[in-house]
Amino acid sequence: MTAVVDAEAVTKRYGEVLGLNGFSASFAEGITGLVGPNGAGKSTLFRLLAGQLKADQGRLTLLGQPAWGHGEFRHRVGYCPESPALFDWMTGNDLVTTLLRVDGFSRTEAAERSARAMTEVGLTQDGDRRVRVYSKGMRQRVKIAQCIAHDPELILLDEPLNGVDPVGRASLSALMRQLSSAGHHLIVSSHILYEVERLTDQIVMIANGQAIAQGDLHRIRDLIDSRPHVIDLETPDPRGLARALGAWDHVVSIEFVDAGRLRVMTRSPDTFYAALPGLVVTEGLTVRSVRSADDNLDAVFRYLSEGRR
Amino acid sequence: MSISAPRYVSGPVVHVGRTTRALAIFRRELLRRATWGPLLAVALTWLVVVAAATFSVAFSSLTGFSAMSGFESPYESVAWILLILIVAATVGAGSLADDIGSRAITLYLSRPINLSDYLVAKAGATGTWLLIAAVGPGCVAVALTTALGYVSASTALAAVGAYFAVGIVTAVFFTGVTLVFSSVTRRSLYAGVATFGAVLSIGVSASVVSGITGNTQILYANPVTLTQTMAEAAFGVSSSSPLNPTTCAVVMVLVGVVLATLAWWRLARIEVVGE
Repeated sequence: MTAVVDAEAVTKRYGEVLGLNGFSASFAEGITGLVGPNGAGKSTLFRLLAGQLKADQGRLTLLGQPAWGHGEFRHRVGYCPESPALFDWMTGNDLVTTLLRVDGFSRTEAAERSARAMTEVGLTQDGDRRVRVYSKGMRQRVKIAQCIAHDPELILLDEPLNGVDPVGRASLSALMRQLSSAGHHLIVSSHILYEVERLTDQIVMIANGQAIAQGDLHRIRDLIDSRPHVIDLETPDPRGLARALGAWDHVVSIEFVDAGRLRVMTRSPDTFYAALPGLVVTEGLTVRSVRSADDNLDAVFRYLSEGRR
Repeated sequence: MSISAPRYVSGPVVHVGRTTRALAIFRRELLRRATWGPLLAVALTWLVVVAAATFSVAFSSLTGFSAMSGFESPYESVAWILLILIVAATVGAGSLADDIGSRAITLYLSRPINLSDYLVAKAGATGTWLLIAAVGPGCVAVALTTALGYVSASTALAAVGAYFAVGIVTAVFFTGVTLVFSSVTRRSLYAGVATFGAVLSIGVSASVVSGITGNTQILYANPVTLTQTMAEAAFGVSSSSPLNPTTCAVVMVLVGVVLATLAWWRLARIEVVGE
């Protein structure tokens, strides 16, 4: 696939503080999650992509153009910064319209696009209220509206779901998926891992200013063979199931979590999942549920971060 | 058959030019400053200047003095420069500081405009407010005195020209001063106080040092003397100032432009660690 954003050994310093430290990654088409803890360098990368900062070293391109500068290709990029600060004295509609005017749209076109974007983020009713009275969630929505209103190819969303209520999260996530389906490319950052996990499998993980992993989340998880996978099993006969599983050499440990639940650690989850049905049938056991306890972003991130310390 | 990921391309849109885009920022900034503080400062300036100029011209016509000296009279008092300073501080102090402090500046600068466009738009808005305060009341006074029959049309035109000349130079100077202070802080209050304090303290210091040393060239550092010298020359009033009026105008414009460039330089280096 074509790389929408390409970073090669990008370094950005704030005085003695390293914002990015030789960051290298490729962001493919569709939705890519940029995941990392606070201070990892996510916002620095976004500001570099938005042309707000200049990299000290390395090469950073988006849509085939150098990221630094304010060229005409900025029409093709939408940026939703992490900071909740907006032009508080304006109404939501005015804010989006003004920024569309700065984007280069005529007055009429800007007004139409602004109304459309405000509807898409669910702010139609509040568009004529001043931004200063908006809740945190509404501010996030208006930031997203200004970011998508000019119909950009690449949409950069820095922590877009911060402060948004659960219903709002669901609708904004749906909007992001809808934008992706329409062919827009989205880079979405978050430190709340399950949010990204629900949006996409395609991730770039960042820690201490470096990309520590990138690609399909589940493949990344598979690559981490230094740590066994954790699988939770619900059964009415934990002792019988534990005895049977104990005979498998790839099972590292078995833990009795509570009366009806076992936690098994295995070095070979594929073998485990393939052999479990046969075991259940031959041994006459009952297994009510099987759940991978750590095949999620949080666990992957934790493992990778630990590995780098 | 092959399946490939969709690639989005924006539809055909005609974008207006950079000047129009910058004008959008200019308009917003102009409206944004229409709050009680700046409006009161401008209203006070208008009141003082219109009253002073009109009465002076009326008095001149009765006593046989030149009407131009009447029009020039507001500049003879330090009050004029203080009022313009208040307008500059209330209008221009937050111009950049508010956007930097809130980090909302990124919303503008992630658009296809550059820092110069942004700064010119901001400077334009501050300058327009200053022009309204510095030129507007003079023109009203001219219209009033002409309507009352105190001055001829040619004198009125000459006075309007002089008000514009002094007003434009003053606006450039104070726009530069407020921009540079607004670019070095995130709080408009600090920028306002710094603008006010710096202009007054430099002016007073220059006068004191010049008085002590007898070196009149030091007065080129005093904005009050510079404005008064310029105004006297523009209105054709005999001057006791030891300074050259053209040099005064050049110094004020130059300082304004250099300070605005410094503000640009400062903005270009602002990096916010916000994680």
